[in-house]
Amino acid sequence: MHLSDDDIVRSISAHSPEGIEALYDRYGGLAHTVALRILSDRGAAEDVVQESFLAVWRRGSTFQAGRGSLRSWICTIVRNRAIDRLRGDRHRTRLDTPIEGESIEPATSDPWAAVALELSGEEVRKALAELPIEQRQTIELAYYGGYSQSEIATVMEVPLGTVKGRVRIALDKLRASLADRMETPWQTQ
Amino acid sequence: MSHDEVADLLALEAVGVLEPSEREAMERHLATCEPCRVAAAQYVDVAGMLPTALELVPPPARLRRNLMAQVYAETNASPALPWYRRLVNAIPTGRAFTLVGAAAVVVAIVLGIWGAGRGAQQGPVAYMVSGTTATGTLDVNSSGTQGVLTVTGLAPLPATEAYEVWLIPPHGSPKGVTFLSPGVDGGPWTAVMSGNMSLYKSIAATVEPAGGSPVPSNTEVLSGQLSES
Repeated sequence: MHLSDDDIVRSISAHSPEGIEALYDRYGGLAHTVALRILSDRGAAEDVVQESFLAVWRRGSTFQAGRGSLRSWICTIVRNRAIDRLRGDRHRTRLDTPIEGESIEPATSDPWAAVALELSGEEVRKALAELPIEQRQTIELAYYGGYSQSEIATVMEVPLGTVKGRVRIALDKLRASLADRMETPWQTQ
Repeated sequence: MSHDEVADLLALEAVGVLEPSEREAMERHLATCEPCRVAAAQYVDVAGMLPTALELVPPPARLRRNLMAQVYAETNASPALPWYRRLVNAIPTGRAFTLVGAAAVVVAIVLGIWGAGRGAQQGPVAYMVSGTTATGTLDVNSSGTQGVLTVTGLAPLPATEAYEVWLIPPHGSPKGVTFLSPGVDGGPWTAVMSGNMSLYKSIAATVEPAGGSPVPSNTEVLSGQLSES
């Protein structure tokens, strides 16, 4: 039976193990990918994913439908925990290259989510490729690198205001390119 | 603060780089501005799509297993549970099976037999499992949510391999749920599992690499039907 994201949220809110299991099957792969991209360490990434899903399980769903999609919500939780861990590692090295090496066994996953992610992924890759390189680098340093605004400004040798502007412009361009994929309809102000 | 200025902050927040000093101003504005609250969700949505562009790296099967083992352990840690279920839940699920765990398994089995002997309509149920050299039982508790698998006749395995236990639904793929742990001093192998046992029609164990496999290999060492017939 295919559960909707709303079904999953209701199930988690009811503190049902099946709810957290469905959430993991749908977004665990993406969560793991995010953690690994940020931490470049498989063990640390697994820890962060497990801690994130357990936190959701223990607290119950704090997801609010009006504040973005379920996918964005869980990705944000994982991303924030991974960044916290990255910042807490005094001996960390920043790796901005893709992870390579041994293969990892596939886990049980939600086939509906896998198809949706693949379709979404292609469009997002295309939209990102259309951004000027400096805008793409700015949002990647912010989202995956754990850099602060001032650190990004230093790394990219631009004023702080330029960093703010690049983030806003990049996201505005992405939302225009991905309007059909967004769960919250875009409204211009 | 204008909507446009707030939009800058919303974008920064969505990618996780909003400064604490900026957050207060943003939240003050959001408290009274519905259009900007909608915009905030939109920026979060856009940022939340960024990871989908990454090459997906599936997590190892053990991550799901460890997560759900912890979830079910915490589910069953409620003090409202009957004492015998708390005892069963206390059995270690790791590979290093302890004397305490072994004793608890024996107690659980005895309780199961005792319960069945009393003819309770919804009492514990024991299912037979067997293989070429192995025999054993799967004792399921009254509510059908906990199982203790006890097996004799299995050969020791090298550290690089494990006996993985699978629950097999009527339709769909087998679900790897746990590993058999060797008993102390050559005693029975045991495994504890949690979940809705009524969803599955049979159980099996296979030899897999340590850490488990996403699907069972063709190395079945035992199997059994989960029906009371």
